[in-house]
Amino acid sequence: MKMKRLSLALAFTLAAAIFTSCEKNSTYKLPILGYTDYEEVNGKVDTIYHTIPAFGFLDQDSAMVTKETVEGKIYVADFFFGTCPTICPKMAQQMLRVYDQFKDNEDFAILSHTIDPEHDTVEYLNGYAAKLGVNDNETWHFLTGKKEEIYELGTAAGYMVQVREDPTAEGGYIHSGAFILVDKEGRVRGFYDGTIPEKVDVLMNDIKILQAEYAD
Amino acid sequence: MTSKYFRQNMRINIIGSCLLLCICLAACGPSDKSSSDSNNNAAALDNKERQYFTNGRNLYETYCANCHMEQGQGLGQLIPPLKNSDFLLANVPAAARWIKNGLNGKIMVNGKTYDQPMPANAKLTPLEIAEILTFISNSWGNTHGGVTTEEVIEVLNQQAN
Repeated sequence: MKMKRLSLALAFTLAAAIFTSCEKNSTYKLPILGYTDYEEVNGKVDTIYHTIPAFGFLDQDSAMVTKETVEGKIYVADFFFGTCPTICPKMAQQMLRVYDQFKDNEDFAILSHTIDPEHDTVEYLNGYAAKLGVNDNETWHFLTGKKEEIYELGTAAGYMVQVREDPTAEGGYIHSGAFILVDKEGRVRGFYDGTIPEKVDVLMNDIKILQAEYAD
Repeated sequence: MTSKYFRQNMRINIIGSCLLLCICLAACGPSDKSSSDSNNNAAALDNKERQYFTNGRNLYETYCANCHMEQGQGLGQLIPPLKNSDFLLANVPAAARWIKNGLNGKIMVNGKTYDQPMPANAKLTPLEIAEILTFISNSWGNTHGGVTTEEVIEVLNQQAN
């Protein structure tokens, strides 16, 4: 009889453990990505994380968006171009999901950088955003500016993704389909394939984990 | 207490725990997101047409779904839908030309204007285009019926003249 009660207890403990493992562990933190440096200051070692460098681009409403605009905000960045025949529409469809879920959040933003600024002017991006159903520039900024600066921001010095011109590629550009998650201090906290719905589910969950980190 | 009774009870217990475990594990799994289209017109097609339809689905995923999306729903007012699209259904098989050569300029689909260029797919053969047309004009509620390779060749030639 004792054995029976023991095995019953064991089964319940196991079940309980499995149930709780489903829940999000509130103490889990997303990693801080990129090259980390250490500096000695007054005998103490400071950790210096990789952060997104300063930038300045115009959005679809001709508003200047800089590093300061997104300071204190959790944001998602990506690279696209308006006439892209390959992965961009899929990325836009997925980014719309992220937008719909978090747009009412004051400390949340999305930065979509065009990599074809000659074609994707402020005027063009204004129409592009409206056609996607994004009617204001409160949350989602479609950014254009100097080509070199946009490309520089994509490199290891910035978002650490693949962005370049390539005449042999379909549409003329090679660019990563990544959605990059950046925290309130400008540190990169995750990369997600913006063309795969399941990966974007993970991103949306990670945004909540990151929000919880600041809620403590 | 007999050991037989005890053992039997244990077995029920173990089966019970396993069942509970399975339920718990299933609860953890991702929700089922089937992208298959149950609202297609394949039943109305003959064998050859159905073969076109099946091949067309694979080609659609490779060449078209990035923009027109997996359920033919399009994207906002950027990419027009193929699902219940008056523009598409009024232009089968002529749409073969747009698939092959692309499409530029404004078009009106279900009362909305679209003005995003569609890229050409010059490498697609008439057979492949017929398969794609058969798939898109018989999926997601569309019920056009089969499209033959001969029809596609004819409209492509018309344009050349």
